[in-house]
Amino acid sequence: MKIQKLFQKTLVGIFFLFAVISLSTSALCIYTVDTHLSAEYESNSRGIAKTIADSSVDILLNRDLSALQSLIDQFIEIQGISYIYITSEHGEFLAHTFVPGIPAEIAESDHSSRAAVERNLPGMGDFVEVSSPILAGVAGAVHIGMDTGLIALKIQRAVGQQVYLISFIFIIGVFSAIWLVRLAARPIDSVIAYAARLARERNKDSSDDTLLARDDEVGQLARLFLYFSTVKDPDKAQGAPSGRPI
Amino acid sequence: MNGEKNPDTRAEQTGVTDAEIVLGVSAAFSGPSRGLGIELYRGANAYFEHVNGAGGIRGRKVVLKTYDDGYQPNPAVTNTMTLVQQDQVFALFGYVGTPTVTRVLPMLKKFQQQNAYLFFPFTGAQPQREPPYGDFAFNLRASYRQETAGLVDNFVSIGNERIAVFYQADAYGRSGWAGVRLAMSQHGLQIVGEATYRRGAKFSGSMRRQVEILKQANPSAVICIGSYAACAAFLRDAVDLGLEVPIANLSFVGSENLLKLITEGREDSRRYTNLLVNSQVVPSYEDTSIPAVKQYREMMDRFDPQPPSHVLKEDYSSFSHSFVSLEGFLNAKLMVEILRRLGDQPDRDKLEDAVFTIRDFDIGIAERVSFGPDRRQGLQQVYYTVVEADRFVTLKSWEDRFAS
Repeated sequence: MKIQKLFQKTLVGIFFLFAVISLSTSALCIYTVDTHLSAEYESNSRGIAKTIADSSVDILLNRDLSALQSLIDQFIEIQGISYIYITSEHGEFLAHTFVPGIPAEIAESDHSSRAAVERNLPGMGDFVEVSSPILAGVAGAVHIGMDTGLIALKIQRAVGQQVYLISFIFIIGVFSAIWLVRLAARPIDSVIAYAARLARERNKDSSDDTLLARDDEVGQLARLFLYFSTVKDPDKAQGAPSGRPI
Repeated sequence: MNGEKNPDTRAEQTGVTDAEIVLGVSAAFSGPSRGLGIELYRGANAYFEHVNGAGGIRGRKVVLKTYDDGYQPNPAVTNTMTLVQQDQVFALFGYVGTPTVTRVLPMLKKFQQQNAYLFFPFTGAQPQREPPYGDFAFNLRASYRQETAGLVDNFVSIGNERIAVFYQADAYGRSGWAGVRLAMSQHGLQIVGEATYRRGAKFSGSMRRQVEILKQANPSAVICIGSYAACAAFLRDAVDLGLEVPIANLSFVGSENLLKLITEGREDSRRYTNLLVNSQVVPSYEDTSIPAVKQYREMMDRFDPQPPSHVLKEDYSSFSHSFVSLEGFLNAKLMVEILRRLGDQPDRDKLEDAVFTIRDFDIGIAERVSFGPDRRQGLQQVYYTVVEADRFVTLKSWEDRFAS
């Protein structure tokens, strides 16, 4: 059965609607996940940096640096934390987790800043670095680098899952729309066929009881076509042929 | 030597029965550093077998309860918990490595009411030598600080003042790095360059990036703080890339394993070894004029101790003699002496006091061993060795060997 042009437009409208929904929800998802994850990672990293800084005071003042290294080695296992380094108040590196060496960008940077710093380290990736002072900064600072690539990966996963869901709903929606269009188009096809038959067989009894008995717009149209086919002068017609409203 | 404990009620409390004294060992018996754990165990077992064969200590045999930690901190912690709580060993003995031991120390503090002491770990790091955990361990060997200070002092004395460090990115590497830094600062110098590698690196891996990093610093000597597989790879790549400066290793490296890797299948091995110098914490096992060395060689040859089969996961070809097994042998010799001094009823509560009775004890080498409340490290001397004819010999003159 050929789908009516009117319904083709409806289908196109559904396509557009889904496209708008998909794009807008994906954009909102990216923004939300990015914002929340970045904030959460930064907050966690600051918390970890502060924990290490607080724990480091005693080690720096009383113990060997291997104990400090042992401490940061335990934190580097946390997902999202890519590197940790501890600098003295003079900027000297006291412990770090870099392999095969301290990147030049970090070695040459200003370690006194406490603001979050975005870093691109060749061969390593993109990072956001947060810091926490040790003993109010007089004993140095702890610096933690978070892998922003991991956040991007999480966003991709979240958006990907959303796209899968929307695609599934879209496919179900399209099949449902086609089915509904067919359901709606079938009586219209019947009434068109009925009108054509009336035109072809003007002097014969062409009544279709099922169609004429319908209590909807299709029934009204069928009765109207029958009425027009049975009166000589439609302008003089006074009422419905079967007494039912046209 | 791995025996099952007798079901004796006293054993549940102290690790001692009428027949045995059980010591707990967690060490690297697998992975790229397994040579260290195996050789240390073999050396110790040679002496324990000798003692047990002669009737044991007042009728009790010394038994080692062994677990493999693969030179990884978390298994070492788990093994220690098992040894102390489940196996109820008399004492912990012969652990291997700084990253493992530094993580175990807080657990010993936790078990301090049970007097769970760690004896003679194969590490020269500071944490088990100073507060807050120094009271729970006894060390025989010299520290990394002493080894690195000796290396730095000797390099500086021959004019090699531009010293760089290649080290393992963990507590062990940091301990050695800190030792070098401290020693350099005492000469008014600083480390000129540093490069790191991850624990567990294999000889087949590349250390070229590390060599390139150090070459940029233009060092006149490099001190390596690592395990034998990584340090041998670094030495190979350093020579191949033209970094021809003296390259030093600490005792922990496992000299024979390093030498085996670097010389195996090479006709030009001298090219790789003639600038190599390794510090040691025991005298040369080639010097049979030393009574303990003579005894060690005799017992290693007689007993040929094998690594514990239940923890051995990979093939290992052991050395007839090595610095590591000699250290294990000396550890066992001192341990037996301490256990003897505990008398007929060994009690963990009296263990520390027994250790403190060790004063000027002749362990069979030139240096005598003493312990006390403020002295928890028995030996202080550091030895230096170089490679001659594919074996390590005592370095006679830094000037003649390395002065440019």
